[in-house]
Amino acid sequence: MLIVSMKVARAFRVTRALLLSTLAIAAPLRAQMYEGRQLVKPELVADTNAIVPGKPFAVGLLLRMAPHWHTYWKFSGDAGLPTEIKWHLPPSWRVGEIQWPIPLKTNDPGDIETYGYENEVLLIQEVTPPAKIELPKDGFAVANNSPVTLTAEASWLVCEKICIPGSATLSLTLPISATNAAANTELFDRYRKLLPQNWPRDKVATVKWSRNGADLHLQVNSAMLAEYPATDFFPVPPPAVLVGHPSVESRNGNEVAFKIPLENADKNLSSLPGLLVFASRANADDRAAWRISGASEVASLPHPVATRGLLTFLFFGFIGGFILNLMPCVLPVISLKIFGFIKQAGQSRTKILRSGLAFTAGIFAWFIGLALVLIALKAAGREVTWGGFQFTNAYFVLGLSIVVLVFALNLFGVFEVSLPQSMTRGLLSTSERKDDLGSFFQGVFATVLATPCTAPFLGTALGFAFTQSPAVVLSMFVAVAAGMSAPYLLLSVQPAWLKFLPQPGAWMLHVKQFMGFLLLATVLFLLYVLGAQRGLDGAIWATCFLLIVAIACWIKGVFIVPTASAATRRTSLVLALILLLASGLYFIGDKFHAAKIDIGEAQLASDWQPFTPERLRAELGQGHAVFVDFTAAWCLTCKFNEKTVLETAPIRDAFERHGIVKLKADWTSGDPAITKLLQQFGRPGVPLYVLYPGKSKEPVVFPELLTKSILLDKLETIATVAGIGDPGGADVFRHQAGRGQRPRLQSQ
Amino acid sequence: MNTKLLLTAVTALIGSPLYAADVPPVGSAAPDFSLTDSKGKTHSLSQYKGKYVVLEWFNPECPFVKKHYGSENMQKLQQEYTSKGVVWLTIDSNAPGTEGNMTPEQAQKVTSSWKTHQTALLLDPESKVARSYGAKNTPDMIVINPEGKIVYEGAIDNKATPNPSDIPSSTNYVKAALDESLAGKPVSNPTTKPYGCSVKYKSS
Repeated sequence: MLIVSMKVARAFRVTRALLLSTLAIAAPLRAQMYEGRQLVKPELVADTNAIVPGKPFAVGLLLRMAPHWHTYWKFSGDAGLPTEIKWHLPPSWRVGEIQWPIPLKTNDPGDIETYGYENEVLLIQEVTPPAKIELPKDGFAVANNSPVTLTAEASWLVCEKICIPGSATLSLTLPISATNAAANTELFDRYRKLLPQNWPRDKVATVKWSRNGADLHLQVNSAMLAEYPATDFFPVPPPAVLVGHPSVESRNGNEVAFKIPLENADKNLSSLPGLLVFASRANADDRAAWRISGASEVASLPHPVATRGLLTFLFFGFIGGFILNLMPCVLPVISLKIFGFIKQAGQSRTKILRSGLAFTAGIFAWFIGLALVLIALKAAGREVTWGGFQFTNAYFVLGLSIVVLVFALNLFGVFEVSLPQSMTRGLLSTSERKDDLGSFFQGVFATVLATPCTAPFLGTALGFAFTQSPAVVLSMFVAVAAGMSAPYLLLSVQPAWLKFLPQPGAWMLHVKQFMGFLLLATVLFLLYVLGAQRGLDGAIWATCFLLIVAIACWIKGVFIVPTASAATRRTSLVLALILLLASGLYFIGDKFHAAKIDIGEAQLASDWQPFTPERLRAELGQGHAVFVDFTAAWCLTCKFNEKTVLETAPIRDAFERHGIVKLKADWTSGDPAITKLLQQFGRPGVPLYVLYPGKSKEPVVFPELLTKSILLDKLETIATVAGIGDPGGADVFRHQAGRGQRPRLQSQ
Repeated sequence: MNTKLLLTAVTALIGSPLYAADVPPVGSAAPDFSLTDSKGKTHSLSQYKGKYVVLEWFNPECPFVKKHYGSENMQKLQQEYTSKGVVWLTIDSNAPGTEGNMTPEQAQKVTSSWKTHQTALLLDPESKVARSYGAKNTPDMIVINPEGKIVYEGAIDNKATPNPSDIPSSTNYVKAALDESLAGKPVSNPTTKPYGCSVKYKSS
């Protein structure tokens, strides 16, 4: 009766042709025999009959178990082990995390609760082939159009009264083709229906966690639940957390409360990831589930902004503000200001000083105003970050392009700004005053344009400020404003330096007009941003409205002038306003508002993969090193870094050589998942460059102005430390090992 | 008479033999027990007060147990620590009629053919001791200090696999707990999730 020697399941070799036309098992497989029966029949299947380069497809590990024997879910419960799949894919192929169907919950004598599958289970994973499938001469296939063989080692534990471990090396051969058709549709559909869904909108269901001593309490409210007699919570605890058996505490119509005892958890653990499962009865085939993500998981991400003193951060704010003057998006306005200084060169000291002070006041007014708005919004509980909260909003970008266009037309001389005479008389009795007001608004304008370019230092400084009290936020913005205005203030206090500037003359008109073109270039950039947010249609409708705005400006310049009769001015004004209002309603309120970006357009070129927290977790889970580029269409610094560093040949080679997965987190429209991650890194906006070396290593954050040497240096050192250059490393495809040490993301 | 209290008491009385009690947490007093070993000798926990005691839940049929015996990992641990004065009690709590339940003769055969080095292999066919410790797996490991307090409970090591080739690269929690305790230090990793087969309790 006793098995005395170490005798794991007998291995035997089977070579057989599979019935499924597109599949073939090439490698021998090891299966388990117990009392003359094969306990588990493993098989790899795909949802396609051919591989189309660059097009993701699904593969599934199909395990067929002997009656009453079961394999386990990703959290196996009190006993058992999750099934593991280790892929051997050609380089630059990617495989996603296992998509686990909702398991069955069983309770064995002794109150042993396990989560697993009976009879049959399909574990689906998404495979992304590279856009260009290159077949290396060693190992895989050689000739063009020849099929690709994907190999995976699967290992599982199958239990009935006793448990027997099993494993098999399986392979799947598919041809490469430009087109494909669906395969195994019924099987994949059946198991896709059993996959948990993301948590629904707040209107549909809400979740509330609380902690009471060693117990977690989960309260779920949803009208959906009333239709399902059986509800349960299946936990997916992080590796270091030991959970007891969740139980339903109370059930009252739409509301279910669960108690989840914790056996060794951190005092601060306030929630657990898991599934809310509902069905007509426990373990019924109609079971469905929503993923619950443990909010506390998010908090455990490393927070790079640590304990630097307030003064240091204020200093960084000042420096950052100064550097804002050099950012590409501010340059056109800066040229305007320099032009103003040139004009003033011959004038009196006090006049210049006043102008400089007014410009400074404009900068301060904008930053303080922004700080107050942010503080108010923060107090109202909204998630706000700087820069993004403006530039991720398409209407803000549209508004800004209108302002810039109007400025450009003004520079071209299409119209002149003349304040109403009454106002001029009342408020601006002298021309100096009028200049001051102009300088003030130039200051405001320069800063509005500066916000999307989060300059070096400024990111850290503001990131720090956002975790602080309103007073600190305000002082930080003041520091930034001081930094930005410092050079102008200096020039106005030291007008001697202005004397080095050339004398005013006819050339000034030409420069003024030329500046207009620079502003038009800025409009183009803003339209590009709108295009990225709202698609080509959105950008075109915005342009239509801009044209009407330009016509309105022209009407103003030609007919609404002091020399025209009162009647002409009134008619023209009404006409211009009607034009603006009608076209605004049509082009913006209707067309632009309805314009949505086409998913096809948003697809990423080249070898960058779109970022999702799940994707990041999956790649890290497979032991891959991951580089994340947090970017946005409106971020010129990002574009600059991408063109001059990230997309250059040496960097691309280095990424390829070290097998680093490149994810692009596009924040153009303010994806909340990305916002959250940015905040975790203490950043209020993009750019942000992070390298996750994989395994237990801390993520590396790069400076906002990337250089090739910084990046290459880091890649080399990290590659040596973490051994990421070796994709064949022992634990690379393990789903379990070392999960706890990695930075965790909000999941499920 | 408070009916609610009475009901609770009755439920507790009926419930306790049927279901495994909650695991006594690390730091609490180890529940006392008395069991006979494969040779018919009685051992109680209290008789070993003043010594470190290791409890190891056992099932000769379980691949996870076989992982550690087939590689002689468990025997080496038993030998190393019993020679340092630690009492090592291996417990078979599997109910009669389930896989892994042993008669005293079978138990003796296992100890001799597997060349084990525990202080005693105890038979717990009614799963009483497993219940009082909330043991759910084989192997499930508990370390008790000379004062009779639990200082470690959980897995034998950090690699939850049935594969013996994982042993060299794994961290042995029991060894770490014993080394730290014997050196007078607190156990740095006192609770882990045990892995393995389930303890085969009697169907109720």
